[in-house]
Amino acid sequence: MTFDLIQKEKLFLIIQREYLTRLRSKIFIVTTILAPVVMILLLILPTLIQTMTAERERQFLVYDETGEVGSGLVANDSIYYKLTSDAPDELRTRLINGSIEGYLVIPHEILDGQGKVTFFHGGTAGMTVTSRIRSDVQQIVRDIRLDRLDTPAEVRAILADRVQTENLTITAEGTEEADSGFFMLLGFVMGFIIYGAMFGYGAVIMRSVMEEKTSRIVEVIASSVRPFELLMGKVTGVALLGLTQFAIWAAAGAGIMMIAGPIMALFMESGAIHEQPVGASTDAAAFSIPSIDPFIWISFVLFFLLGFLIYSSLFAAVGSAVDQESDSQQLQMPIIMLIIIPLMFLFPVSDDPASTLSVVLSMVPFFAPILMPVRMAVIQIPFWQLWGTVLLMILTFVVLIWMSARIYRTGILMYGKKAGFRELWKWVREN
Amino acid sequence: MSDSIVEFSNVTKQFGNHRAVDNVSFVVRKGRIFGLLGPNGAGKTTSIRMLTYILKPDSGSIKMFGQPVGPETQKKLGYLPEERGLYKKMKVGEQLIYLCRLKGFTREKARSQIRYWLERFGALDWIGQEVGELSKGMQQKVQFIATIAHDPDCLIFDEPFSGLDPINSEMLKEAILELRDAGKTIFFATHRMEQVEQLCDDIALFNKGKLILQGDLTEIRSSYGLNSIRLRFSGDSRFLNNMENIRINNRSTNYAELRLLEGANDQLILREAQRHVRIHAFELVQPSIQEIFIDSVSK
Repeated sequence: MTFDLIQKEKLFLIIQREYLTRLRSKIFIVTTILAPVVMILLLILPTLIQTMTAERERQFLVYDETGEVGSGLVANDSIYYKLTSDAPDELRTRLINGSIEGYLVIPHEILDGQGKVTFFHGGTAGMTVTSRIRSDVQQIVRDIRLDRLDTPAEVRAILADRVQTENLTITAEGTEEADSGFFMLLGFVMGFIIYGAMFGYGAVIMRSVMEEKTSRIVEVIASSVRPFELLMGKVTGVALLGLTQFAIWAAAGAGIMMIAGPIMALFMESGAIHEQPVGASTDAAAFSIPSIDPFIWISFVLFFLLGFLIYSSLFAAVGSAVDQESDSQQLQMPIIMLIIIPLMFLFPVSDDPASTLSVVLSMVPFFAPILMPVRMAVIQIPFWQLWGTVLLMILTFVVLIWMSARIYRTGILMYGKKAGFRELWKWVREN
Repeated sequence: MSDSIVEFSNVTKQFGNHRAVDNVSFVVRKGRIFGLLGPNGAGKTTSIRMLTYILKPDSGSIKMFGQPVGPETQKKLGYLPEERGLYKKMKVGEQLIYLCRLKGFTREKARSQIRYWLERFGALDWIGQEVGELSKGMQQKVQFIATIAHDPDCLIFDEPFSGLDPINSEMLKEAILELRDAGKTIFFATHRMEQVEQLCDDIALFNKGKLILQGDLTEIRSSYGLNSIRLRFSGDSRFLNNMENIRINNRSTNYAELRLLEGANDQLILREAQRHVRIHAFELVQPSIQEIFIDSVSK
């Protein structure tokens, strides 16, 4: 059985309804405002939490056999470290009954390059504390040992020296740009936005199909248009909605950037006017983002659209097969897995976007919407890989929408029956 | 027939191993109310879904106005499904205009039609309200308007009276008869036989996917002759249980319909009844649709 020719006026009417009713809905307005806020919070919250919790005062007792290292630690930070003459056994008891937070035992042979400093603590010390103690002890022990050998200042300088390295990216035009890691971040953000969009808009499609089915309006609609037209109208309408939302965010983002630059410059100027009146403007300039190739934006939209089409046809099939949301869990599982898998490879792919693993994963049509933009932000994707993937995604969509339409037109008229995968496959085959 | 509006020819539809509609043929003429009758699961809704081009038959053909059903015939058709439903969050006016435009109307034409019908049903005040805010009875009215607003030549009502209170039922019945008088062809599907006798001109009886009887209702009934008794009485009706050669339909405390089978004698029954109960009415009549249905199924 072939699809009937799509009736354009009717399709347009459906698209219009799907788009406009959602555009005016509260949920659209709320998510448009809240999504960027949540995203920004997620980005800055970890740092915020860390700076807030790091304030807590802690003190560790130091049992020092050398007579030198301990006093060096206390000289560094007399609150953090405190010398003690109590025996380690005594300290252990105090630690167990909770009257001290932890203690260090520094053996005398440590200054001969032997033995080890032991840090006792209750529970887990935490990474920050451990690394701080390690570096403090390391520095003091090293200085004392250098002192003992009467090491000349030049040697100490060499030891303290850090070799400078710099990353420069050569762009296609042959110019050099500092690789600030910005593009990697950009790739991550793009991947995450598409990931969120697949889920969010996928759920919109699924619910919308389910709503038409459970409210039974679908039978009235189906007596006016072909189910395939309804399905395509719905998918297109929601895709347009997604693009609208992106456009709003992009416009808002650009607006903020434009306003934020001069304001930032203003603040820096007034704050630093006496010390470095010339440097202020360069600092403000460093705040603006590096230029992003417009092609990256275009590809981002392209991969969002293709990914949306692929996943929404799957979600629509699920929505048509169930009567209520709770029944959809089982059928949704594989789709959710397909969206989550590329997320697990986000780091390895952005770390080495040209590896075989990255190339193969990013060309799988189900993973491409998330992984290809991640790679694209960081490196130049070879022509065949890019357009090959686009072609594969289009083919996947055509196959899926064909299958989905078959499930859909059976499912929307089927009530009170919870269909499993086997049942769905039957609908695809027999229709 | 020149005035045939709908024509089913050898239509079959199968779902898995289940034959929902089995080699069904019938013709519906213009300006008639055509009753699709039969118990639940007999094939009525599947037939309607094929007529509305929601489903396609496995074999056979369905024609409307002489052309095979498809997107074009859908425009000339109004369908009130058994399971009612509208977009809950859409406003009444918007929704009706949308549904009307899906049938091919322009926005302006749709708007004036909808204003007319809303006014007619005293419902113009609801035009800006969301459907979900309306009472069930109000939603039914909106759905009815959605079915007829695009002025279709052929209307399909699947169990239109289910869930309606007596007042709304009466209103709907009047509206259906009015549409018929305006020259519309009306399909009326139900499993409630008594409604058929009041409305239908022609009937098609379905059972287990097969069409077992069809034709003009009056002709069908008169072909059976006066083979039934309508008995109204007061008293103890247990004597009926011992009567031979009759079948009892529609029995209640003071009423019974008796179908006379081979060898039954109406005068004998009258005498017997006189001995046991006080008779208010005793009438020889044509069989009821229910009786005709039972009779046809058992054949």
